[in-house]
Amino acid sequence: MNAPVRTGRLPGAAAATAYQRQWFADLHRDHVPGAPLALVNADAPQEIFRAMGIPYVVNQWWASIVAAKRRTQDHLARLRERGYPDYTEQYSSTALGSAFDPDPASAPWGGLPTPSIVLAETTGDASRKIFDVWGDQPGVTFYPLESAAADTVPERWWELMPHDWESTVGTDRLDLMVGELEGLIRFLEQTTGRRFSEQRFAEVLALTNEQEEWNRRTRDLVAAARPCPVAVTDSIPAVMIPQWHRGTTWARDAAHRLHDEVADRVSAGAAVCDGERARLMWVGRGLWFDLGFYQRFQERYGAVFVWSMYLAIAADGYVRYGDDPLRTLAARFAAFSDQLYTPPWSAEWYVKEARAHGVQGVVHLVSDDARGSWATTRALRAAGIPVLELHADNVDARRSDPDHLDRTVGGWLEAEVLPRADD
Amino acid sequence: MSAALAALLDPALPGRTPDRPVAGYVGADVPVELLTAAGYHPRRLSGSPHEDASAGRRYLGGGLDPVACSVLTRLLAGSYGPLDVLVVSRDCEASLRLFYVLRELRRVEPSVALPPLHLVDVLHLPHRTTTRYVLAKVRGLRAWLAERSGRPVGDDALAAAVVAHDRVRALLRATGELRPRRRLTGTEFLGVVDAATALLPDRAAELLGALVAELADRDPRSGLPVHLTGSAHDCPDVYAAVEAGGLLVVGEDHDRGDLLAATDVGDPGDPAGLELALAERYQHNGPAAPRASIAERAAHTAARVRSRDAAGLLGYVREHDDGPPWDWAAQRAAAGVPAALLERQPYGRVDPDALDRAVRALRAPAVAA
Ligand code: SF4
Ligand code: SF4
Repeated sequence: MNAPVRTGRLPGAAAATAYQRQWFADLHRDHVPGAPLALVNADAPQEIFRAMGIPYVVNQWWASIVAAKRRTQDHLARLRERGYPDYTEQYSSTALGSAFDPDPASAPWGGLPTPSIVLAETTGDASRKIFDVWGDQPGVTFYPLESAAADTVPERWWELMPHDWESTVGTDRLDLMVGELEGLIRFLEQTTGRRFSEQRFAEVLALTNEQEEWNRRTRDLVAAARPCPVAVTDSIPAVMIPQWHRGTTWARDAAHRLHDEVADRVSAGAAVCDGERARLMWVGRGLWFDLGFYQRFQERYGAVFVWSMYLAIAADGYVRYGDDPLRTLAARFAAFSDQLYTPPWSAEWYVKEARAHGVQGVVHLVSDDARGSWATTRALRAAGIPVLELHADNVDARRSDPDHLDRTVGGWLEAEVLPRADD
Repeated sequence: MSAALAALLDPALPGRTPDRPVAGYVGADVPVELLTAAGYHPRRLSGSPHEDASAGRRYLGGGLDPVACSVLTRLLAGSYGPLDVLVVSRDCEASLRLFYVLRELRRVEPSVALPPLHLVDVLHLPHRTTTRYVLAKVRGLRAWLAERSGRPVGDDALAAAVVAHDRVRALLRATGELRPRRRLTGTEFLGVVDAATALLPDRAAELLGALVAELADRDPRSGLPVHLTGSAHDCPDVYAAVEAGGLLVVGEDHDRGDLLAATDVGDPGDPAGLELALAERYQHNGPAAPRASIAERAAHTAARVRSRDAAGLLGYVREHDDGPPWDWAAQRAAAGVPAALLERQPYGRVDPDALDRAVRALRAPAVAA
């Protein structure tokens, strides 16, 4: 076998990051105060705004920008000053801190323009209240969506969702979300003067399906490729930034480009790690602030993280086909987070993905507000896959101590993963 | 003490131990009328801060409301006695996660003994679309109960159950109205509500009727009258500590107190309207902290402070109960009386120094500020 070709940064990842920067700069340039602008949660039905030509900023993306500039703490302090807690759901409440910014010009990326509408599901006990506070700001309307839950569900959702979503999600939940989306469209038509064109909307849905089908092919390539051709730290921005722009030709083409770049690397035998010994899966939000984290395990042990949820959920979680566009969109979001966090869906899906990617171990980051983490770890272990649970509280406390992380993960690799991988 | 009050607060009270199939339920969003009408003795599950809950925490994780961890631990240990069915509502995020863990345990660990399980997903946005959804969930629960018990839940039985539970609620409200007149302590009221949910409704109504009559002549209780907001209390310890500190809890806005009985189902006139009446009642019962908007909560709290003649507003929030801290700023602004907040308190307890400071702030706001 020829020595694999060592890879550099994926061009598509750099291109997506540059696009996002330009897009936000354009938004700043073009936005006049009071004009329609939405702030939405990452897993909200953004396609309606896309179809109506209303720009939107993704709440979690903005939180990640603030975090990258190390400004999260001063954002949370502004909440505290106003009598709001700074210790619940910080990821969702960071952007609210931007609303109270006394000096937006000095904020990351020139600051978050004030939205005219915020859209969010009423998940959790605190998150709807974060948006209540948004809705209290001058010129801002909060449009809440219910977050409904099912008593029973069929297990293998990833096979059923594209076409059989009616029975997979359930008629009651779909009826509810369709009703709410109809209300949202009427609200936007009346308050923004923009038109909702059913034809345009169908186009947006078709582009989104195309984009996610590219992601599916990319995921399948990565799952089958030996050695691993793309670093998770590259695939994440290359997938997520187009995800926030879904329903545009740029986003569809960016997903296509990612696929082609990965395919080229696979045929060239390119590898992110020369001596790949063990394939690992990363379950949970990433430690993206410590990119070196991943590299160290590659270099020391030949252990490569081949999987993160971002590409995988793009591949399985979005595609929906149907004759009724609005109901089809409702089917994408009425149970979106269940796919990732609610057993049996989540647990069975992680096992399916672990097997498809041939991983020999899973590092599972369990955050304080983790949903369904016990079920995920249990299912993976029951499938014979070693799991290391990293508890986020530990990670936080020792963020400054990479030695601790290295020892924990390294010890586990040596004891449980590498002996099996070398068999 | 009044005889009825003594009876209601007696843990050995006859009727607390069920003599028919038992339906355990989690959360005040479960339409108990359906459980009663289906022939079950409804039993609301409480946690216990005095018992180790690490077994439940192992499944639910460390960041969740400790009440859910305790309820799960007790379910796994069989502490509630035999339950024939278990119905979980979505009254808060922790209850939903509890349901998911139970559902998964039933799927993958059949050796763990758990009763048949159902989620009744009552939602609360004040919209017609939500009502249609809740109606479907009420019908789903009715059908599921019929399947379990092997016979339909008839309209007559349901109408009778609605009347019976409405009567209990009316009597709980009448008992609550004695609180601004200081006829009973908050700790006592909490115990009365607990007893009223533990008994079958007819028996509960009997005792509550006697209670209202007997308390009218009671001497006023002492203490600075406060309205309590924040977390729900499934155990009397925090109330007892607060009242031992010189306060008198004359009202609260959680669903193990006043909020349990805020509204009735009513008589829809036609039995065909019963399910819709249930759906609308449970959708709109009142603004519970985990589900209602900040504005609704603040308006409700302020109205209750006035109607109960409270001289102060006390907030008590348990650790990992994430909703109430977001309500506080608006509640405090709307209350119009001195206010103090006890945040991130351990389950079933209150930090004595923090309580001291709060009591002082409520008594002499100018000095404390
Ligand atoms: S589903 Fe995952 S990626 Fe999407 S917002 Fe929630 S945490 Fe972020
Ligand atoms: S994970 Fe990476 S790409 Fe995604 S938001 Fe965070 S920093 Fe940006």
